[in-house]
Amino acid sequence: MIELKQVTKQYGQATVLKNITLSIDEPGIYCLLGRNGAGKTTLLKSIAGRQNITNGTIQVGGKTITTSTLDPGVSYVENFAKHFNLPVRKLLRIASKVNPNYDDEFAWEMMERFELDGKKKFNHLSLGMKTMVSTIICLASHKEVILLDEPVLGFDAMMRVEFYDMLTESFQKYPRIIIVSTHIIEEIAKTIQRLIILDRGSVRFFDTLQSVETKAFCISGLQKDVEAATRGLNLIGQDAVGGLVTSYIFDTPPKQAASLEIHPLSLQDFFIQLVGHKGGVKR
Amino acid sequence: MTAIVAIVKRLLASNQISFLLTALVVLCATSSGDVVLSNGNYTWLLAVLTPFFFVFYDFSKLIHLGAGKRDYYLGCLISYGLLAFCISLVNTVIHGLIDPLYSARTVINMMDVCQWTGNGMAVAGLQQMFFLLLVMVFLHVLLSMQTRWYGWLTDALCVAMICVFTPIAPLRAILADFFQVIMLNGNAVLHICICLLLSAAFSLGGLVVLKRKTL
Repeated sequence: MIELKQVTKQYGQATVLKNITLSIDEPGIYCLLGRNGAGKTTLLKSIAGRQNITNGTIQVGGKTITTSTLDPGVSYVENFAKHFNLPVRKLLRIASKVNPNYDDEFAWEMMERFELDGKKKFNHLSLGMKTMVSTIICLASHKEVILLDEPVLGFDAMMRVEFYDMLTESFQKYPRIIIVSTHIIEEIAKTIQRLIILDRGSVRFFDTLQSVETKAFCISGLQKDVEAATRGLNLIGQDAVGGLVTSYIFDTPPKQAASLEIHPLSLQDFFIQLVGHKGGVKR
Repeated sequence: MTAIVAIVKRLLASNQISFLLTALVVLCATSSGDVVLSNGNYTWLLAVLTPFFFVFYDFSKLIHLGAGKRDYYLGCLISYGLLAFCISLVNTVIHGLIDPLYSARTVINMMDVCQWTGNGMAVAGLQQMFFLLLVMVFLHVLLSMQTRWYGWLTDALCVAMICVFTPIAPLRAILADFFQVIMLNGNAVLHICICLLLSAAFSLGGLVVLKRKTL
């Protein structure tokens, strides 16, 4: 469905996307993770045809995507998207007319669930509510590919929970590819099926969440014991304090030994180890 | 089609400032002396203001609502057509009904200046409509290019052409001929055909610009 071949994007001298090759075939909720400046927004904008890439090709549903693609079949919500300063109800009504397959019922239901005041003008809404309006429009559009760029920005904890429920419901009602970029990693873990980790413009990881649960571990112990246990395994990071070492692996875990402590890695820790930076220092 | 109709409605609805400014100028403009300007001339202001709103205000907002570029562009062209018809109708009515009330004075209306009224009011109205359509489409394309280097280059070329062609007599004659054909043209069929052809050419150019437009 989404096919990226050797995609590179440069802004002047800076290369933001580096030779990305990625194929997303199955409908599902995908989480796009990456540090600030990793290239998440650039990647999403390029898939949506909002900007051109420097090299490579992007195809969605077999259609090559560039800014020339008049109808890319992708719905993309950027954070701080500006809308007409109209009452929310009117805005949703216009959206239902300009999007051919718009799910009116879903949009109204979500408006009520999130207690959006239909009479309130868009510019008078809080940041979270503005983002929610954009997200509802995007999900209700029922396009084959939905791209949400940091949709929970400005949401309180309750709204975030409701948002994840809305995402799941929308997907169940109409299975398609939904890519969500976020920094709040642990919360979205229950909602997503696959994970894409972008690091400095390259895809570092693209697999199921299940693979993280079954393969991402931290192993602590004396240096010689840890080294022996992790030999030949896919090491993604390491910490050392005195003679004690903690190694982070993405592989089949070694057998439990008395001299070792083996724990599964949380999604957040896995992400931190994989992108390999902490406090500005490369591990 | 529903999407395009909705876009046309939205474009026209969010063009209120242009409507209000034009109405204000048309209603409030006064001139004194034996030779006066027709208030209908000021209706053309709407044709000049509208593309600014369509290009700089409506485009991004409609795309954020999920509209396609194709629908947006068709919506703009249809709106320009509708507005050209309405502006022309209002100016023709003003010229036909209100201008004669200044019985003792000479009233200058652009329809007379452009030699369109010699073909009768209905044909003059049509000529005006297609000319205004051309103006709006040209402005739309020019404004759409302003975020790109080729937009600035086009601006510079237009200014350079006027600056170079005006002082040199043979070139000035070419410039005058050009305006004679697209504007000051008493031959209705030729005028309408040229306006339509140029509008179509600019529309195609606008499509190329739109395809390169980023958001």
